[in-house]
Amino acid sequence: MSILQLGVESDVRAGAVVARANPVAKLAVALLISVMLLLTVDVVTAGTALVLELAALPWCGLSARGLVRRGWIVLAGAVPAGLVTGWLGVDSGNVLVAVGPVTVTQGSLLAGCAIALRILSVGLPGVVLLATTDPTDLADALAQVARLPHRFVLAALAAMRLFALMGSEWDSLGAARRARGLGDDGAIGRTRTIVGQVLALLVLVIRRGTRLSIAMEARGFGRPGPRTWARESRLRWSDAVVMAGGVVIVTAATVAGLLAGTWHLALT
Amino acid sequence: MGTTGTTSTKAGRGRASGASSRRAVVPAVIGLAVAATVWVVGLPDRPNILGSPLADLTIPVAILVGLAGLWLAGWTSTTRETWRVVDIVTASVLGVAGGFLFVLWNLSWEVVKAPLAAFPPASGLGVGIWLLPGVLGALVIRKPGAAVYTELVAAVVSALVGNQWGFSTVWYGFLEGLGPEVLFAILLYRRFGLTAAVGGGAAAGVVVGLLDTFLYYPEFSPAFKTAYIAATIVSGVVVAGFGSWALTKALARTGALSSLASGRDARRI
Amino acid sequence: MGVPLVSATPPAAATAVGLTARGWGWRHSGRKAWALRGVDLEIAPGERVLLLGPSGAGKSTLLAAAAGLLDDGAGEAEGGLFTDGLDARVARQTGTEPGVSRTGLVLQDPDAQTVLARCGDDVAFGLENHGLPAGLIWPRVDDALHAVGFPYAPGHATSALSGGERQRLALAGVVAMSPGLLMLDEPTAMIDPDGARMLVRSVARVLGGAVGGAPDDGASSATLIVVEHRVEQWLGLVTRVVVVEPGGGVIADGPALEVFAEQGPALFRLGVWVPRRFRPAAPVPRTSVLAEPVVVLRAAGLAVRRAKLPPVLTAVDLDVRAGEVLFLTGPNGAGKSTLALALAGLTAPVAGDLSATPAMAAGVGPRPVRWRARDLVTRIGMVFQEPQHQFVAATVEAELAVGPHRAGVGAQETAARTAEVLARLRLDRLALANPFTLSGGEQRRLSVATALVTRPKVLILDEPTFGQDSRTWTELVDLLRELLDGGTAVVCATHDRDLVDVFVADGRARELRVADGGAREIHASARPTATA
Repeated sequence: MSILQLGVESDVRAGAVVARANPVAKLAVALLISVMLLLTVDVVTAGTALVLELAALPWCGLSARGLVRRGWIVLAGAVPAGLVTGWLGVDSGNVLVAVGPVTVTQGSLLAGCAIALRILSVGLPGVVLLATTDPTDLADALAQVARLPHRFVLAALAAMRLFALMGSEWDSLGAARRARGLGDDGAIGRTRTIVGQVLALLVLVIRRGTRLSIAMEARGFGRPGPRTWARESRLRWSDAVVMAGGVVIVTAATVAGLLAGTWHLALT
Repeated sequence: MGTTGTTSTKAGRGRASGASSRRAVVPAVIGLAVAATVWVVGLPDRPNILGSPLADLTIPVAILVGLAGLWLAGWTSTTRETWRVVDIVTASVLGVAGGFLFVLWNLSWEVVKAPLAAFPPASGLGVGIWLLPGVLGALVIRKPGAAVYTELVAAVVSALVGNQWGFSTVWYGFLEGLGPEVLFAILLYRRFGLTAAVGGGAAAGVVVGLLDTFLYYPEFSPAFKTAYIAATIVSGVVVAGFGSWALTKALARTGALSSLASGRDARRI
Repeated sequence: MGVPLVSATPPAAATAVGLTARGWGWRHSGRKAWALRGVDLEIAPGERVLLLGPSGAGKSTLLAAAAGLLDDGAGEAEGGLFTDGLDARVARQTGTEPGVSRTGLVLQDPDAQTVLARCGDDVAFGLENHGLPAGLIWPRVDDALHAVGFPYAPGHATSALSGGERQRLALAGVVAMSPGLLMLDEPTAMIDPDGARMLVRSVARVLGGAVGGAPDDGASSATLIVVEHRVEQWLGLVTRVVVVEPGGGVIADGPALEVFAEQGPALFRLGVWVPRRFRPAAPVPRTSVLAEPVVVLRAAGLAVRRAKLPPVLTAVDLDVRAGEVLFLTGPNGAGKSTLALALAGLTAPVAGDLSATPAMAAGVGPRPVRWRARDLVTRIGMVFQEPQHQFVAATVEAELAVGPHRAGVGAQETAARTAEVLARLRLDRLALANPFTLSGGEQRRLSVATALVTRPKVLILDEPTFGQDSRTWTELVDLLRELLDGGTAVVCATHDRDLVDVFVADGRARELRVADGGAREIHASARPTATA
């Protein structure tokens, strides 16, 4: 969880090729993989991509244990989605199980696997990106390398720091409501109380945001004229290697799917 | 700027909006023309790409191009309103707060979803919260790009904290913000009342409905898909549309929006 | 920290900048009243000025304008405000060397001033915005951190800093830009007394310790303008006091001692914490005879914690007694607020037992944490450190009606109680205002009012006088005295020694010092034998 922690955790080998690559390169790989894999639903493409990504794990500086620790929640999403598709998806091929309206056929089972594998193979590069990238470095890279407007990138980075405060404020707001006699009478009452709590949180957050913006402006933020960067972010040859690796994974997966005949555009 | 900045006379306002509407027409027409061309190209049955009809590709592209044209039209008509630092920071913190609400909702979503598993399209009713930051950002900040930016920040926060959809959350966030953005652009970034908010919520609902049916439930029957999209639209309208309108009104009354465009409407004691 | 720094690149010496206001006024957009009007002020380069005035007097507005931060869209200006001879807004945008800013502003909210995750990066932020070449940034960052005596390395995480440390980091970030005019807007209002002391020391160090300059050398020391209502800590540093009034201009201007001698009592009544000897005579403490106080809440072996962390306090034994105030004192982070929340029945203790006596529980079971919220509200009232956390309604009147309504009090009775409390706390003219639009002192009074309107037997307050001006402080003291007379039991977590001393002198206070994982009682309340 990079927001809540400073930089990269100690169990990541910071010297690994992917770990020390420029964050924009890592982001490009993650985006490329997600776009290409989302175009199709088939077991071969998703499966190949996943296998290749796992094979590349050592170069990412992440151990299998580290990956599971950070990525388990993606797994937790993949399995149910796969199951639901298996039970309720369009049926084709031999019927394997039929219980009432739920029919599991060969076709729907395959589709379920494909969905689950796709979620995993799209999610994995994202997990690697988060595990190996410091948020400040990512912001520097987005502004300097990808040339996104620096005011937005830095403001987003500064705002993310306020996230850590929101949890304790939310709890305090909840305790205050209990102290006022609210919040424990039925679903409707609780919903009203929670909506009020959301409003109060937004007021506090916006007020703090306004103060933050004054503080940032007082330090020259948004001033006309060129801005320099204390932490330089540049693309190097090793970043090209990382991006090439991403292209290889995507190409191999797509080609595998085409050869197996299972690749088809899933946009309808 | 200041008291004489924006044209204050009615005639002046009429003239200004006339000129900017004319400026807006050009990108809109170009966008729609290109979109129509792309669609026509895909019409004939025979050319096949890899086993799928060409239309599979050209229709979505045509839709995207058409929408982009409309959005550009809306955006060019308001280029004189640049974002100030307070606008950018407020949109950012709203996005982060949205991400926080997502985290809370994601936790309760797993519980709420269980009874809905009987009729999966009903799970579309729960997506409203995920669409809220975009519309809220647009209503509070009232500048071009607010919906996309706020929703994107919220999605990035949600992805950073970790959720069951992983990195695709970021894509989702971008497109979920683009839906309302296009709607506000069509309204030339001038209308931010209840109807605009509801429209924005509906647009976001349509986007997420289409995304989910393409990406997560492509194997559902067409009837299920339609039901799902209907559910997401309802959720978008009620939670993201009406909800953000009500929140913006309440926020304005607390005085929290006094440095922003949306707070200037509320007169204070 | 006392080792002088030998740096290869000495920081750019700040050339002091003066501030001139000629008939200056400002009105925020959307408001009818002017924040300030007709301000005529001349501050010479190198002067050290303390800017005072009642709350809401527009002092923050003046500083923000001097920093060039108020643009035309934010409101309407009158007259002229000049820093370094240039209009303040122009001065912000133009004409300084890279990495140098004419003005620097430190604000009051520590959490809203840290921009980046590492201390060094945060200090470098201002230098980056002012276009200083990358190679020159890091040495300046080190110099700035050293100049304020910052105790951590540049790579230290900002999330691990206390409030006082964050303010010093913010000061370092501002000092790095070598501002000629250093402005501080209530920098100690939201931090604890120890942090405040360290911050004042850092400011003194910055001004007195400029490389190569003697403390009196105006040319290498920046001009200082401080807005604060706790003034004693700054008296060693400032030479001149300027007093402004809301909607008006300067009403007093001169050397500190003169202004206090002339205006001390008047200023104190307006909310300024003038040094003790200039305050109006304090009312004689009243003591009243008390029968043996009745215990209403008892804690035995209580252990409490925040979130999912290990317990911050263990084995706490205490009694809460009617008609007496129990102060919870101790260093920052010791667990006073956590204990207060547990005593209020809002969080479950990790171990031990907190029980209410039958007289107080009156039929709902002995454990406050198990009570339903509507039962809790008539028995224990809690006033939070941040008043805004407690607001649940759209108007002040509705806010006060929430508690009685939840407790099942009839509409007529509710209206009567609400009117009484509104009058008592001088909130009646604000009855229809939205609670969030109230000023700091008004919000504090409202949060206390909402706890009182349900007539609880125990009132628990978490830092009620934090950041409050002298007027609100005096009112809170009077209110607490009334409550004690009426037999309410009060528990108060606080840093404020003055508050504790007032009630100890009254003979109605006990103090529990919370530190190092435990709590021990310090004073036993005196048992007076005669009524005053």
